[in-house]
Amino acid sequence: MSILLTSIIGLPFAGALAVAMIPRNNRLIIRSVALLVTMVSMLLATYLFSEFQSGVLGYQFVHEIAWIPSLGINYAVGVDGISVGIILMGAIVAFAATCLSHEITEREKEYYFLLLMMIGGILGAFASLDLFFFFAFHEFALIPTFIMIGVWGRGENKNYAAFNITIYLTIGALLALFGLIALSVQAGANSFDIRVITAAIKAKPLTGAVQAWIFPLLLFGFGILVSLWPFHSWAPLGYSAAPTATAMLHAGVLKKFGLYGLIRIAIPLMPIGSQAWMQVIAVLCLGNILFCGFVAMRQRDLNLLIGNSSVAHMGFIFLGIASLTTLGVTGAVVIIIAHGLLAALSFGISGHIYHQTKTLDMDQMGGFLKPMPFVGAAMVMAMMAGCGLPGFANFVGESMTLFAAWKVFPVVTSLAVWGGLVIGAVYMLRAIRSVLHGPVSPMGERMIDAVSFWRKLPFALLLIGLLVFGVWPRLITDKVNPCVEEIIAMATFGQPTAKVVPPPVKGKQRPPSRKRPAARP
Amino acid sequence: MSDTNLMLPESWAWVIFFLPLISAVVITLFTRNQPQLSGWISIAAVSGSFLLSWLFFGLLQQTDVVQVPAITWLSVDGLSVELGLLFDRMSLLMLLVVTGVGTLIHIFSAGYMKDDPSYSRYFASLSLFVFSMLGIVLANNLFMMFIFWELVGVSSYLLIGFWFGKASAADACKKAFLTNRVGDFGFLLGIIILWTLAGSVQLDHLEQRLVASPAMLGTAAGLVGLLIFMGAMGKSAQFPLHVWLPDAMEGPTPVSALIHAATMVAAGVYMLCRVFFIYQVTPGWPACLAFLGNISALDIIAWIGGFTALIAALMAIQQNDIKRILAYSTLSQLGYMVMSVGLAGTTAAMYHLTTHAFFKAMLFLGAGSVIYAAHHEQDIWKMGGLKEKLPTTFKTFVIGTLALCGLPPLSGFFSKDEILATAFNQNKFLFVLAVLVATMTTFYMFRLVIVAFFGRARSDSAEHAHESPRIMTVPLIVLAVPTILAGFFGLDAFLNPAAHVSANIFDHLFAPFNHSPFAAVFGLGAVLLGGTLAVSLYWQAQRDPLPEKMQCLAQIMRDRFYLDEIYTALIAVTQGALSFLADAADRYLISGFVVRGVQGTTDIMGRALRLVQTGNLQNYAFVLAISVAIILLFVFRN
Repeated sequence: MSILLTSIIGLPFAGALAVAMIPRNNRLIIRSVALLVTMVSMLLATYLFSEFQSGVLGYQFVHEIAWIPSLGINYAVGVDGISVGIILMGAIVAFAATCLSHEITEREKEYYFLLLMMIGGILGAFASLDLFFFFAFHEFALIPTFIMIGVWGRGENKNYAAFNITIYLTIGALLALFGLIALSVQAGANSFDIRVITAAIKAKPLTGAVQAWIFPLLLFGFGILVSLWPFHSWAPLGYSAAPTATAMLHAGVLKKFGLYGLIRIAIPLMPIGSQAWMQVIAVLCLGNILFCGFVAMRQRDLNLLIGNSSVAHMGFIFLGIASLTTLGVTGAVVIIIAHGLLAALSFGISGHIYHQTKTLDMDQMGGFLKPMPFVGAAMVMAMMAGCGLPGFANFVGESMTLFAAWKVFPVVTSLAVWGGLVIGAVYMLRAIRSVLHGPVSPMGERMIDAVSFWRKLPFALLLIGLLVFGVWPRLITDKVNPCVEEIIAMATFGQPTAKVVPPPVKGKQRPPSRKRPAARP
Repeated sequence: MSDTNLMLPESWAWVIFFLPLISAVVITLFTRNQPQLSGWISIAAVSGSFLLSWLFFGLLQQTDVVQVPAITWLSVDGLSVELGLLFDRMSLLMLLVVTGVGTLIHIFSAGYMKDDPSYSRYFASLSLFVFSMLGIVLANNLFMMFIFWELVGVSSYLLIGFWFGKASAADACKKAFLTNRVGDFGFLLGIIILWTLAGSVQLDHLEQRLVASPAMLGTAAGLVGLLIFMGAMGKSAQFPLHVWLPDAMEGPTPVSALIHAATMVAAGVYMLCRVFFIYQVTPGWPACLAFLGNISALDIIAWIGGFTALIAALMAIQQNDIKRILAYSTLSQLGYMVMSVGLAGTTAAMYHLTTHAFFKAMLFLGAGSVIYAAHHEQDIWKMGGLKEKLPTTFKTFVIGTLALCGLPPLSGFFSKDEILATAFNQNKFLFVLAVLVATMTTFYMFRLVIVAFFGRARSDSAEHAHESPRIMTVPLIVLAVPTILAGFFGLDAFLNPAAHVSANIFDHLFAPFNHSPFAAVFGLGAVLLGGTLAVSLYWQAQRDPLPEKMQCLAQIMRDRFYLDEIYTALIAVTQGALSFLADAADRYLISGFVVRGVQGTTDIMGRALRLVQTGNLQNYAFVLAISVAIILLFVFRN
């Protein structure tokens, strides 16, 4: 059983090796191998998710192999309630991205090799329990991203975009690396194992002075990786130049590495630092929600619009984290998962359009819903999910963060509600109006829908994910909640309790109606 | 849900609730290419819900609330949300109205949309809409109500934009959704604040807590009330968020009947009645709104309702599109209902909501029948003489008109009178305003009927009109029954059995004259005055005499007081300017200056370093020697 996680991570790597050995003329075999390993990996991740025991604290499915014991570095993977959902989401996105890679027709061997490396790295990062592997897996995923944008990217801007994203993300990753090393040294446990470090810090908390300089390193390091305003401008640009699968995987999953690091490491281990910086995060998240929302309104390029909206969505996650409440951080994790599926879906759809039009200028589009009802309907649903429509998982997460944050930051939260409900709707509906609605444009007459099963499958899978978690959010929240409770208990240590008053009357029993007489003899 | 016994009538509540959803899903996934079948599935689902709802009519004779076992949908850290259904008299009444009127509109649609290529999509959206509406009606907590509130928003978006290939329809559905979203902003924020202060979203818990300690909300009380009212403002199209409703006439006419008569626009009023307890707490305003002093949230609601009723009636007087006249009339009647809620007359509001649902649905369907018969002609000045050509449509339309004007003994008289009486007791100024609006209502409705149905045909399409098929006229006739009879039985007595003990038909018929004769007499006088004016101006008229008599005033009324234009300008200077600035800052400041700065520095460094890489061994040796010298200097300096 313990091999399960390692196989989920290892399959894509094995696939990459296999691809490297297959002669480049066997294009069909290369693609089939990639599809097979990602599909099996996805199925295993689904099995992992269903077998996961909700409400049990600590890591499950742990698998350890000693590597460099003298330095305290060991291969160790495991999942808790937070990471199990993210890994499932990542595996679904990975499979969908591989499906949609049919647009790549040159240097396929290199492409699929890099793609599978990236997928393995992504899944590994979220499963790692060792800081060294945590970071190394992330780099395994990050470097292929740069290469893929540079080689298979689109548009005149692709070199600048690739350069931009490389510089930004490298700086972010470096800052985070310094922070992580400093943290493990300061913890004094002579280990990179998150569990050991956490236990050591629980026993002997870091001093305020140490937290005061490590926390901002991690905050801004991870923050840059997640496009925290004003370090966001790499994201829309990079995604608009990236090939479809790369944008899907990076915006959907890899980007969440920073958030995961904040929630898993920075906040619980450095309560003083986090309590001091939450005000700042709350203000910066408005930059994401409002500023980038306004920027998104003016975009005429569909991918820039999606990219900016994706940056705006990160604001709600930061808001949830800034509230430092169980409700807010649980909501943040729900958005991480929901947004992963949504971003992948949106970029998948825009890729489907770009593949045929070679442009994403919305002024030239119009009436696409007529020629492509399936992809068009998927796009309507994606845009609606993006502006927080109930029924999709994004709504659940966003409303949780807003409910949690009002008590702590009333003004910021009120503006965030405006950003989520009104600003989001303005640009999402504008996209529907210009791309799908209206008279069929000349370009629209040539559009082809996703017809075959394999073309429809990636969109359908992502939509099903969004709908299932949106209609029945307890599939995630029941798993996430206990873990977040523990994290928040550590993060709010020493803070006067700011918990919301729990309702004295419990959910299911309702008081008898006023008029009913007691029918007892 | 699985452990509940299907034999219990309570379990059938879930069937009522989920039938339309099942229909929507089945149509979307399986019967997309079988339009006939899709239509029947949708009709069967909504009529099934309607019939099953009567089960609860019996149950509610013995008790006030039927308990339906609920499911915990979300429970994290104090936020506990149920998926739970609340059956009491108010929700049952609304349920019967929504599914009953909905069934007739579904049947009418089967005829009206017969030749549309997207027939299945139409019925799937219709079913989704009914499901969302049932969610609002039956929700036992505010969070769930908000969820379905949003779903109503999106399904109306799909229906208004049903003919999305038409630019005007595509714009209209976008406008409707966005305007509603502004209202939803307030609604959600109100729910969040209410939950933070009172610790629950459950309606019954909230009511208990707020009744037990009315000062619980403190200075936020008024603000919460207004924010929640914002939601109603959006859905029920109250000024200043009323602009979406007239444009929404771009949807198919049966959709207008469903959305704009019986369901979506009524949702706001229903929600206000449902959460009325939050307006009965100790009043208070936060510091920034302290200037409001003794004015309560309810006062503001009443005034907004009255004002909406007035301006909408004024706009209706100068419209020429048959559907737009009805749309503005809907706005105006909704203003009445909201005003009534603001004057603490929730029963009167619900009463008028119910009767209005019947006769306005009938009027819209009648208009649909006229449009269908007149080959999609909507301008009343191009109609005329339809009386003989569409006898059934004409008769039902006249009954609906008279009910809307408030002529006894039709249902509209009783419900409108109850609102007038409430206004008379509470606020004399609003009473005068309401009577004025009643006069105008009669005026524009008589204008519509006289111009469209009497006189001679003024166009070819009106000349060759002939009565719509049976599938469309039967729903009209069926709707005429409650339009005539709903007043006889006193719906107010059903809603509030404690206040009305004796009940016989004659008591109900003459109740208005006994309760507050003043209001009843003024209401009747308004009908007579408005009717006389309209007849004298429009009988046998070939074109509208008002623009000449009233000059620019008529123009302003026709152009809706230029509110849409003012909004467009306002949005341009606020949101437009902000997004322009943000975009410019993002483009030139952040990515331009900072990022390109970083890139530039790196680039220059790279170029500079490349100069060093000359490949010339002597250069390397020279640099090496210099470096060694510098290091030695540092080492031996001390």
